[in-house]
Amino acid sequence: MSNIEELESKLDQNFVAIRYNVEIEGPAIRPENDLDVRNILPTEEPYKSIALAVLYGDMEASLSNVNDGLEAGLSPVDIINNGLMKGMDAVSLLYTKGFYFLPDLMLSGDSMMEGVRVCEKILGHKSETKGTTVSFVAEGDPHDIGKNLVVMFLRANGYDAVDLGRDVPTTEVIDAVEKYKPLLLTGTALMTTTMTVFPKVVEELQKKGLEVPAFGCGGGSVRKDFVESFPMSVYGVEAYHAPKLADSILKDKKTWKDLRKEYSKIVGEFVSEYA
Amino acid sequence: MKRFTRMIYKNPDELIFGHAKFPVSERWDIQFGAGYVVPEVKVAPQEGSEVSKEKMVAECRNIAQSACQRAVSIGLPSFMLEQEHVFQQTNNPEWGGECTRIQAEILERYYDEYGISVALRQTPADIRVEERAPGLRGSDYDNKIEESMEACAANGASDLCIETMGGKSASDYGISRGDIKAVLFGIGVLGSIDMEYMWKRIVKICQKYDCRPGGDTDCAQANTAMFMAGGLLDKDIAHTTAALARAMSAGRSLVAVECGAIGPLKDCGYENPIVKAISGVPIATEGKNAVCAHSDLMGNLIAATTDVWSNESVYHRQEMGGTTPEVWLQATGYEAALMNTAIETGTSETLRDIYTLTDKYRDPQGLILAYDNAYRIGEAIVNYGNDPYLRARAAALEAGKIINEAVDAGKLYLTRFERDSLDNALKILEELPLDADQFTDECLRTYTRKVPEFDPKSYEL
Repeated sequence: MSNIEELESKLDQNFVAIRYNVEIEGPAIRPENDLDVRNILPTEEPYKSIALAVLYGDMEASLSNVNDGLEAGLSPVDIINNGLMKGMDAVSLLYTKGFYFLPDLMLSGDSMMEGVRVCEKILGHKSETKGTTVSFVAEGDPHDIGKNLVVMFLRANGYDAVDLGRDVPTTEVIDAVEKYKPLLLTGTALMTTTMTVFPKVVEELQKKGLEVPAFGCGGGSVRKDFVESFPMSVYGVEAYHAPKLADSILKDKKTWKDLRKEYSKIVGEFVSEYA
Repeated sequence: MKRFTRMIYKNPDELIFGHAKFPVSERWDIQFGAGYVVPEVKVAPQEGSEVSKEKMVAECRNIAQSACQRAVSIGLPSFMLEQEHVFQQTNNPEWGGECTRIQAEILERYYDEYGISVALRQTPADIRVEERAPGLRGSDYDNKIEESMEACAANGASDLCIETMGGKSASDYGISRGDIKAVLFGIGVLGSIDMEYMWKRIVKICQKYDCRPGGDTDCAQANTAMFMAGGLLDKDIAHTTAALARAMSAGRSLVAVECGAIGPLKDCGYENPIVKAISGVPIATEGKNAVCAHSDLMGNLIAATTDVWSNESVYHRQEMGGTTPEVWLQATGYEAALMNTAIETGTSETLRDIYTLTDKYRDPQGLILAYDNAYRIGEAIVNYGNDPYLRARAAALEAGKIINEAVDAGKLYLTRFERDSLDNALKILEELPLDADQFTDECLRTYTRKVPEFDPKSYEL
């Protein structure tokens, strides 16, 4: 027996580390059998199958179901609203409940978006969305996975999320705000010295007399106290909070000032940064 | 370029903190892996300092001055100061050069006055943007990185590092979707190709000056997986997927050494214990004294084989105990003192094993980096040493085997998500072609379509 094996034999693992994620796990059930999901999913076909394909992140099945529905003469708008979006609503719910994980969400999002694209082709124009948002990564910053998640969450929740990419010059951000008049602008940065772009964006917007209901700022080194040192901004903690913030702007006419005050309530969970 | 096809370490038990098979000496009388652990401190310039060269230089001067002052105040025999560049420092190479010059002057003054052994690591930022023509190679940003490296080496850096981003477009796609094939393509194939491109140039620059080529970390990919995996209750990435990504990253980070990097390898490369086992170079690592920067699940374990113990990064500001360069150098300094005391008193193996056991079964990510398991992954890599794709694949398969053994032995418990993700990933990895060209062709067909940022030309594919 080596030294480390001898030491290990004396050690009760739970004395030093407990895998709480394993401890709290409930029984395995099929996602469509979750009670809350049942209330979301359509019961009539082919919408049920379309929604289930999204729920399982099965892009091939999703496309095939959507095409079948279109061939059967269903309206593309109904397919989007009663099938694809319902499936995605169920996915978002399961993610919030901790039953689904990010890869589930991404694959379901891809399946939904492909279905929407097919429907939009038939429609000949973009489908109706809840509203437009604009997302960018600060100039000088190539780290974009956070922004990609924000965009995916917004799209999955029915927003037309315009993605400006990474290392985006401030002038491009201003032009996009002018063009799209988004209900939510989001900026992400990994570094302290690239997050300084955020107040510059606000300054340039103000110079042009432009305003957005809220400018969500987040990412690696971004701090709440820094974000709240300039107007129009809200410190965003998790990517999946973005659609909840957008919903509150859209439905409850919340402003950036309200979002700062009511962040935890709006996103529906304890957020230590806002405690 | 000679690939590693044999282990430099012949026995996992030889792997221990403060000792490397090939110690590195740098100016100002400092050695790494030569029988003692060196504490490191790294502090990020505060916001606002990027507006002018003068402000940035003043910021770097203050960081160096504070660190040196605290080092002598608490009696540290040695320490390393690292400056990781912000975008503006690399995009304006003369800024990076001037910041290096002023920090080198301060370190040298303390070395002359107190005899304290010091090192100055400069890490220019990888500011390249793959999807913007001409991509990763030959762009203005790419040229600025090279100029910045040269400016740092010429102005007194004792070693150079970088965190290259090659392969990130594909691995980001794979990590966020649990697509292990994309992760392997990003880290094992694309990452390795880009490393070779970058590191041959860095080594050439270092050869012109009294400056060592340090190493690279897979921060852009394996750390992305680790950060997104987060804590036990986070629900983004399976910790088993992050563990496989980490194992693959060792094959990729080894490329820097194969190109001529000699260490100490860069601190946030959690894959470094594996690279050390293979290559014998000294490594920097970070864990419990890097909580100022991020949370990991192996705060002690990762100290077991370290040669330079780092705080990763912290805002430059005031804490109750002083400024952050002072506070966090004190934290890493005292931990290094503990390790050095163990070395001097002949108890280092016990301390190493205690560090290891503290975190070995906390999470699969720590398990595979325990020195005995890191060694096994190293062996899997050198068995396919000449093929970056096959060795990254072999590393991931071995990591999966290690996790499954611990689960079977009742030592490690996985959630369903972790279990399913691991089973699914191992099945896919086992069925992949054994020919790198075939794998690359398949991936090119799939991911050029699925990942808009991926630019095969950036890798000469």
